[in-house]
Amino acid sequence: MAFEGLLEDPVVQKYLHELVGPKGMPVAAAPPDGEVTDEELAERLDLELNDVRRALFILYENDLATYRRVRDEDSGWLTYLWTFHYENVPANLREEMERLREALEERREYERDNEFYLCEVDSIRFEFDEAMDFGFECPECGSPLEAMGNDDMVESIDERLEALETELGIV
Amino acid sequence: MSAEAEDLSEDEARALELVREQGKIYQSEFWKALDVSSRKGSRIAKKLEEKGYVEREDAVHAGNTTYLITPIIKDEELDFSLLMAGDMLSPFVGEEEVDARGDAFSQWIMNLVYEDPVIPEEEAGAPPEE
Repeated sequence: MAFEGLLEDPVVQKYLHELVGPKGMPVAAAPPDGEVTDEELAERLDLELNDVRRALFILYENDLATYRRVRDEDSGWLTYLWTFHYENVPANLREEMERLREALEERREYERDNEFYLCEVDSIRFEFDEAMDFGFECPECGSPLEAMGNDDMVESIDERLEALETELGIV
Repeated sequence: MSAEAEDLSEDEARALELVREQGKIYQSEFWKALDVSSRKGSRIAKKLEEKGYVEREDAVHAGNTTYLITPIIKDEELDFSLLMAGDMLSPFVGEEEVDARGDAFSQWIMNLVYEDPVIPEEEAGAPPEE
């Protein structure tokens, strides 16, 4: 198996799982050294060929695997030889960190610019305008909507943003 | 980024930490902050550049020709756990669009809030420090 050190990172495991799903995880979690065919993988991992192919194409779409096609001289069939490229995982995760940073910034602005009201029964949050339209009563259950502070959220967002910016070298 | 590279001398490691903390720094400030001679500072900066940890570009600062030093952050050294809130991965992984107001992100942020609750010292029963 290749990329063992990388695969020890629980975040990398989560990331791959998120991409390929539980059925594709045996494929994603055990990248072989060198080239491999989808059939070999299916047999080795005791999986349906379709599940193996689905996982491989997801990895391909995320720059984590490539293939080359070879025609079998006897049968005339095309064989796909796959290579895993997990050396691209760190760059992909960096991009995810950048996307997360942008989302946190946008969300912080939204949280700061709005007042929120909560139905404590249904745990639904409303913006001020919405709450006013409903006469400060929950449209689901009719109980009164209570003003809700979001300082905790803004503070947590701030902290994580700062950590991400330091890590990504954005000052 | 926490893992320090083994190919750095003590001075170089200290210098790299400075550059990373500052985000960018002029070489004319760099050696002063490190409390070394300008010649030594220049040597350290050059080494860091050669080893791929920083970039240097020509700059003019306070009337002097110098370099602006900026860190190069290697992808594999990043702390990927910043994508996690509790045991939840960033909800944007595998998604085309980023929905900053979506429910999945709300849940991620709430995980963040509860992950590290701020307990006032009195409530936590810790004696106040004087």
